[in-house]
Amino acid sequence: MRPLVEIEHAVKRYGDKALLDVGPVTLHAGDLIVLTGDNGSGKTTLLKMIAGLERGARMRLRFEGVEASESDYPRELGRRIVYVHQHPYLFNTSIADNIRYGLRLRRVEAAERERRVREAMAWAGMEDLAAVAPRGLSGGEKQRVALARARVLDPRVLLVDEPTANLDAQSRSQVIGLLRKTATGDNCVVVACHDRELIELEGARRWHLAGGRIETR
Amino acid sequence: MKSDSLLQAVQEAFLRLSAGDGELWTIVWISLKVSLSALAIATPLAVALGFWVASNYFRGRTLVIVLLQGLLSFPTVVVGLVLYLLFSRSGPLGAWHLLFTQAAMIIGQAIIAFPVLAAFTLAAVQGADPRLRETAASLGAGPWRSAFTSLFEVRFAVVAGVLNGFGRVISEVGCAMMVGGNIAGYTRNIPTAIALETSKGDFAQGIALGAVLMVFALGVTALLALVQREAKPR
Repeated sequence: MRPLVEIEHAVKRYGDKALLDVGPVTLHAGDLIVLTGDNGSGKTTLLKMIAGLERGARMRLRFEGVEASESDYPRELGRRIVYVHQHPYLFNTSIADNIRYGLRLRRVEAAERERRVREAMAWAGMEDLAAVAPRGLSGGEKQRVALARARVLDPRVLLVDEPTANLDAQSRSQVIGLLRKTATGDNCVVVACHDRELIELEGARRWHLAGGRIETR
Repeated sequence: MKSDSLLQAVQEAFLRLSAGDGELWTIVWISLKVSLSALAIATPLAVALGFWVASNYFRGRTLVIVLLQGLLSFPTVVVGLVLYLLFSRSGPLGAWHLLFTQAAMIIGQAIIAFPVLAAFTLAAVQGADPRLRETAASLGAGPWRSAFTSLFEVRFAVVAGVLNGFGRVISEVGCAMMVGGNIAGYTRNIPTAIALETSKGDFAQGIALGAVLMVFALGVTALLALVQREAKPR
């Protein structure tokens, strides 16, 4: 199978110390990768480097023929690789507007955009909350909105950072349910986590970060 | 001033306000026109500068921030003095014939409002959640769109800056007096009129204009309270 993302190398240093020295690794369509590692092992840094949100000392990755480096991250990659924070930031508008944001940037036609927003709201189980401001949402609800906001863009690669951290049991199981539905087979999902249930998710491959390097398990 | 004549002056002031005294309302109109024009000019430039300084690291950045904060308490009369020297007939900009015009007052008030607006924007953008820009970028926003989204997210703080700027310029007397010249029906605004009428002993006019200024101040305070309530963190 042709790889979706090839990471030749991803190196991040803090002073003289190398935090990350990853590569070569590949991601394929249909992959569900669970990225584990101790706190401070560089999971978030690696995901952000892949998403072009953080620069490393050295990086070279290829995504469907488009190349990115530590100094040049083409915008078209950013539109197809989406990163979701551990504690997602929701814009201070309505939930529907949050989900609409990326579709507007991609100039999706209004009727189609609204259809997709409704569909994403239903997918996240938040149909009745379209006009609600995010400030009153719980951590689990915010995570569900963030996943819906990312999923509505139909990204080829979805990078999700510790999505179940600090959630209660019910919210955790709702978020895990959404993550299961997110891996469609056409895309690739990478989830950084410590959560046993996520680590043992059916069909998931495990990457473990230790000493700045990835061990595949 | 005796207490009965003070009472008379207050009564006369409210009579003039309710009777729609032409001279009084012309002064109010000039004040609003000059101050709002100054804000319209200063706001986009100051917000852009505040945002740029907050978002970029460059040599001399700390100096720019200290300068902006220092200018917050810069005496308005000194701004007036500098502009007077520039605009006076023998000054470097004397050929523009701006001295004792509304344009000069607008320029002066724009300069006075500028650091307030820039400092509020700077503080708001610096204090914004770092995940905000990352989220916008991750959802596909380019640098301009990310910047616009960031500004939109701190909009309440920027509006609070505009309201504070309005509060500062609508009530300043030093610069308006020096570069406006307090010409009746043209450059006489509320603060310069109050100073003049009080010195002439027409307390009723001073009290009436003072009451209008107080209404503006209370209005701005009420709007600020509303804006701050909206700006509460999520």
